[in-house]
Amino acid sequence: MISIESSTMNKEKLNLSQLSQEQTALEIKHLNLKYGDKQALFDVSMKIPTKQVTAFIGPSGCGKSTLLRCINRMNDLVDNCNIEGEILLNGQNVYHKKVDVAALRRNVGMVFQRPNPFPKSIYENVVYGLRLQGVNHRRDLDDAAERSLRGAAIWDEVKDRLHDNAFGLSGGQQQRLVIARAIAIEPEVLLLDEPTSALDPISTLTIEELITELKNQYTVVIVTHNMQQAARVSDQTAFMYMGELIEYADTNSIFTTPKQRKTEDYITGRYG
Amino acid sequence: MGKWFKSGSPWIWMTSGAVSICLLSVLGLLLLIAVKGLSYFWPDNIYQWQLTDPQGQEYRLIGEIYDSEEVPTERLIAAGRQLDPNVGKMVTRYLVKTGNREFVDLDFRWILGSDIISRSQPKDVAVIERSKNGDFFGFPVAVIEDGTRLTGVALHSTLQSHIDRAVKLNDQARALQKEDIGSINYALEKLRLKERGYELDNALTSERKKALDAQKATLNEQYKMLEARFFDLRKEAARDALIIRDMRGKDITLPIDSILEVTYANQLSFIDKVGHWFTGMGKFISQDPREANTEGGVFPAIFGTVFMVLLMAVMVTPFGVIAAIYLHEYAKKDWVTKLIRIAVINLAGVPSIVYGVFGLGFFVYMLGGSIDALFYPEALPAPTFGSPGVLWSALTLAILTLPVVIVSTEEGLSRIPSSVRQGSLALGATKAETLWRIIIPMASPAIMTGLILAVARAAGEVAPLMLVGVVKLAPTLPIDMNFPFVHLERKFMHLGFHIYDVGFQSPNVEAARPLVYATSFLLVSVIVGLNLTAIGVRNHLREKYRSLEH
Repeated sequence: MISIESSTMNKEKLNLSQLSQEQTALEIKHLNLKYGDKQALFDVSMKIPTKQVTAFIGPSGCGKSTLLRCINRMNDLVDNCNIEGEILLNGQNVYHKKVDVAALRRNVGMVFQRPNPFPKSIYENVVYGLRLQGVNHRRDLDDAAERSLRGAAIWDEVKDRLHDNAFGLSGGQQQRLVIARAIAIEPEVLLLDEPTSALDPISTLTIEELITELKNQYTVVIVTHNMQQAARVSDQTAFMYMGELIEYADTNSIFTTPKQRKTEDYITGRYG
Repeated sequence: MGKWFKSGSPWIWMTSGAVSICLLSVLGLLLLIAVKGLSYFWPDNIYQWQLTDPQGQEYRLIGEIYDSEEVPTERLIAAGRQLDPNVGKMVTRYLVKTGNREFVDLDFRWILGSDIISRSQPKDVAVIERSKNGDFFGFPVAVIEDGTRLTGVALHSTLQSHIDRAVKLNDQARALQKEDIGSINYALEKLRLKERGYELDNALTSERKKALDAQKATLNEQYKMLEARFFDLRKEAARDALIIRDMRGKDITLPIDSILEVTYANQLSFIDKVGHWFTGMGKFISQDPREANTEGGVFPAIFGTVFMVLLMAVMVTPFGVIAAIYLHEYAKKDWVTKLIRIAVINLAGVPSIVYGVFGLGFFVYMLGGSIDALFYPEALPAPTFGSPGVLWSALTLAILTLPVVIVSTEEGLSRIPSSVRQGSLALGATKAETLWRIIIPMASPAIMTGLILAVARAAGEVAPLMLVGVVKLAPTLPIDMNFPFVHLERKFMHLGFHIYDVGFQSPNVEAARPLVYATSFLLVSVIVGLNLTAIGVRNHLREKYRSLEH
């Protein structure tokens, strides 16, 4: 709790309930989600501000990853998954029938729990998204690769072996490579699903520093198990419990003056 | 004792014992086939025996020992053989190859050890490999060149030079017949079909007829010229003869153009024999069969086997992979899919001859018949695709091996971690793009495994092929120099069928037996070769996409 005080000191406060249209990157409206008969999300509503880091915390199985996966519609891959409600990205409901899912996912990048590079070279991993969009000019690809790898703070480590297999990298490097791959296609929103849970402490630190860098350009939503991490990197924190959004406020208030009993119990370590 | 059981040692002994037995039987099988097959090419010593026949007459025998066994004396006496009772309980019996097929009743005969008076290895006995009637054993006496007996010359070198000359002329004649005359015949047949096609369309105008006739006339003229040259070459080759004394002591005249090679087997050093052994194997692999497949090589069978298997692989892989992708990626996971999957797996259990019957009924008669009716009406009633051929064989085997490819491809697809799929989808790839760019490359080692299993199964399959395309002797290969170069409608030879044919359909059982082993060994080698290639490719792919181990 001590480190939280210092790291959350100079975070600007936003009134989350009254964000203007420009300040809102994502708006979730009365989202209900069922896996078959089992309801996983109960009437979740929240606004996620632009170019800030928003963290979802909560105990295992509280639905924080499910909520994250709703944003880029990764839950479409799950059979029997039923979703009601809306998620607005730039005022457009991503669950509208006419939305092109592939285009949505180009706009909302995602990084997963375990590093999942493709069995290709580092370079090919980074430009994968661009090649999908039909970019094949060597110069464009080279530029994009360098920009993204620099953006993911891994350029210096891999610039001499861009054409080596990506599996030769360490876990932390692989995760940053995956982040580079996600930002190569310049999304608006970047979803991070427990990006450091499979990494060692030093790699975790590098990724956390990277996240604070990334918010200058992208709206970042991060799911984390680790409360210290949420406190260190996020501007807003949402606490979820049993599929419900219990409390959502700026990180400082959540960790210092939680309004809900459940939030307080969780962050003081009474369960979780 | 109880403790020993508890420790698990007996279990380990049992399992390792099972593995050892498997290994031993595989090695034993390979060793037997290899030894029996490869020793066939080893030039054995030629012996000359003085023997007494049951009437007490002395006679001479020259030949090569093929086999020997111990026989109880009693049994021979019971079989009516008169024997000196002092020879002991057992008597050795030798199987001797005497050659000289057209001059003696049997070119293989058993002789009893007790009948042998003396045995020697005459230095100047020659083994003469002939293009007809098998080997001849005898003592060369003189060479006749163009009707005159040559005297005062070194017999061996003169003979050799005359044989070389005849072999060269014969080779030229054969090449002329196969290539030049063959192409003219092919072109003539094409012209005939063209004319017939015009006739069927009622489009045979007099100009066309004239043009065709003119082409035919030039071809016929060329044919006549080539034929004349062919006969000249044959006549040239038949100029000389060899006088040779056989084991009965008679002088026999052999035309030199029937001689392929002369070996003085008893004069060969060990190194010479090794050299002979290798050239023998080389000839076996590279030459055409002779004399109802009991002599010569098996090149057309090797070619047919490899060509058919490759053709099958080219057809079965895309089919199997596409089917597996549908089943695994697109089909709903309900009972219909399950039923289809079970049906596919059960297809692998259908006896192969049933596939042969299906191939004959469906591919050859229905499909081939329709193709003939639609595209080759001018050749009818002679079938083009409507008769068994290499294409139909490959297709039949492709269906036979389809389940193997589907099952292993599906297995490979299900082993790809879902995180990689999601990673691709999260970058805005559609499902199809993910499949093409990530999933199929990553599943390629599993696809190769399926292909390896399919090739192994298909290369050894004989029964269905007998119905859909294999023949004892195919006059032409499925690939030659005549347009369109690849002739998928042709019948072909196959090593597996060759083994059956040589072993069971051969007029000369004893001569054929070593060939059965040699061909079996070759078939195994071909399959191993094909598989090693595929395994090499698979290992390369595995190295490339080794993320699966993560």
